Amino acid sequence: MLLCDFHIHTRYSDGSVELSRVVDLYGQAGFDVIAITDHVVNGDNPIGKMAHRLKLSIREDTFEEYMAHLQSEAERARNKYGMLVIPGVEISKNYLTADKSAHLLLLDIKSFIPACQSYEKIFLSAKEQGALIIACHPHHMSDMSKDTLFLWNNRDKYARYIDAWEIANRDDVFNVISLKKYPYIANSDFHKTRHLYSWKTMLNCDKDVQSVKHCIKHNKGVSITLFRQ
Amino acid sequence: MTGLWIFAAVSFLGFMAYAFQLWAVRAALKTASGNDAGSPASGLFVPPISILKPLKGLDDNLFDNLESFCNLDYPEYEIIFSFQNRNDQAFKVAGKIRDKYPHRDISLVVEPCNAGLNPKVNNLIPAYRRSKHNLVLISDSNVMVGEDYLKEIVKHMENPEVGLVSNVIKGVGSHSMGSVLENLHLNSFILGSVCFLDRFMGMPCVIGKSMLMRKSDLDAIGGFDAVKDFLAEDYVIGQRMHQSGRKVVLSNYAIHNVNSSWGLDRFINRHTRWGKLRWQIGGVKYLSELLCNPVFMAFLPVVLWGPSRATLCLVLSASLIKIAGDYYIGTRVLSGVATDAGRIDGTVPRMSCYLLVPLKDILIGGLWFVPLISSTVAWRGNRYRIGKDSQLFPLASGLQVRTLFSPAMLLQKAITGTLRMAYSIRERSA
Repeated sequence: MLLCDFHIHTRYSDGSVELSRVVDLYGQAGFDVIAITDHVVNGDNPIGKMAHRLKLSIREDTFEEYMAHLQSEAERARNKYGMLVIPGVEISKNYLTADKSAHLLLLDIKSFIPACQSYEKIFLSAKEQGALIIACHPHHMSDMSKDTLFLWNNRDKYARYIDAWEIANRDDVFNVISLKKYPYIANSDFHKTRHLYSWKTMLNCDKDVQSVKHCIKHNKGVSITLFRQ
Repeated sequence: MTGLWIFAAVSFLGFMAYAFQLWAVRAALKTASGNDAGSPASGLFVPPISILKPLKGLDDNLFDNLESFCNLDYPEYEIIFSFQNRNDQAFKVAGKIRDKYPHRDISLVVEPCNAGLNPKVNNLIPAYRRSKHNLVLISDSNVMVGEDYLKEIVKHMENPEVGLVSNVIKGVGSHSMGSVLENLHLNSFILGSVCFLDRFMGMPCVIGKSMLMRKSDLDAIGGFDAVKDFLAEDYVIGQRMHQSGRKVVLSNYAIHNVNSSWGLDRFINRHTRWGKLRWQIGGVKYLSELLCNPVFMAFLPVVLWGPSRATLCLVLSASLIKIAGDYYIGTRVLSGVATDAGRIDGTVPRMSCYLLVPLKDILIGGLWFVPLISSTVAWRGNRYRIGKDSQLFPLASGLQVRTLFSPAMLLQKAITGTLRMAYSIRERSA
């Protein structure tokens, strides 16, 4: 079984740990697959503009640098730890109310997708690139100020585009995903070193990007584990 | 005012002792104490060695620590990673190391063992049983070494009178407040004390991070069975080896003890536990530790008579001298013996970290009192009462509840809580 975490932030957005140190933290802990998913925040409202100004978001002009760094770190991780690093982003559509806000992980992304586009356009662009779409923390969390409920509230419309849903995020567990029988994974939403110890996904598949994506999408051989010190 | 002079005098005496420690560290790191044990260091003495690594949980830098043992420049050795449980998080890391180095003689032993109360010894017993070679090296999981490590320590074993070789340790990898304090303390008080005892007192002070022995010698003092119920099994093995007439050598080869992301509570827990060990082992000699803490002795007048020009001058002077001394050891003396230093991010505490030396010493001074009122320890998820020479006794469940509210535990919690609150306020205001 592969020990995986598909939701990790670095200093490229609002994480507190440098990318190379994040790779080392996970590598030293024996992880098999991780995805680096820094925020791409919508810049079409004051909250998003603030995030852009504070450099808490990947922008179109920084995306190339981000991907190049990810690629070099992925190579280092493979050689040193035998760990697969998948490039990704977290499309973060932030609004004043939780009902309007939504976060999406795009795994194995190749080119930049702006977060201010419509959901349909984002899904279409992601699918064209062969990226996997994961709905993040889709239900109420312990920190209610961070709730992002739009996708869950509109699941009848959007569920068909979403490859998997986070059934657990850091310390929170969303039983509604289980009740709906949606495909699931569990992630840390890593921002700080201590977040290493949180919910994780175990996959029973080969350690390559296509197999991992296939395994998540078809949701066979997927289990979750609470990784604790 | 007389009281102030008394504390100033005690603090001065503490600095005298500290100067001897500095001297001992310099001397120990320049020349191996094993030389007087007559180690010829021919370079041709390279017997096969079994490295026993008892693993439990994820230590900082675990992958690199284990990997450093796969890159040793030594002709023949085996590595045994031993676990009490296959579900241990370190099992996966050790498996990756074995897969990465298929040409190395690496085995993973998973065998629950409840022979004694010391979990590390329980973990070592199955590995020891399966080891192939006559020389065994017990090495902790949080240790990282350079390529010439085995060659450097095994040369002492060419002398048949030598029974045990241990190493000086250097705390590295400071990424958090707890780690900084831990590494500052390891690189000053612990290093100084070990070198002082070895150099000037002729007392073996073995730290179990690295212990090289012959099986025949270990078996002659009763093997692991004899120490399975002692918390300081390393110290007891060193003592018994010494009493059996074998020489215990402190190698000047510094090994890295990686402490990267410790919290304050872990620092406090470890040094409360180590303090209790030393109190149970040393008895009245434990008092000397307080007297050898010049910063704490200089700080006490501020507590007793409040801040004034005289009391603040005393504590400030003591702090500056101690910062300079610790900085000298950490950056000048230890840097000369660094092994693969560049491989660990944040290897040596930065200069600004040394400003925390007075805080660390005052904290350690406060913790010094805990062993006087408590003899229970928490280690790797277990709680024990410790007796003479660190012998362990299981705690009855009723007693556990009582110890939670014991004065010692409350003192320890109060110190941890205050520091956490201060740290939290600092973080929020940043």
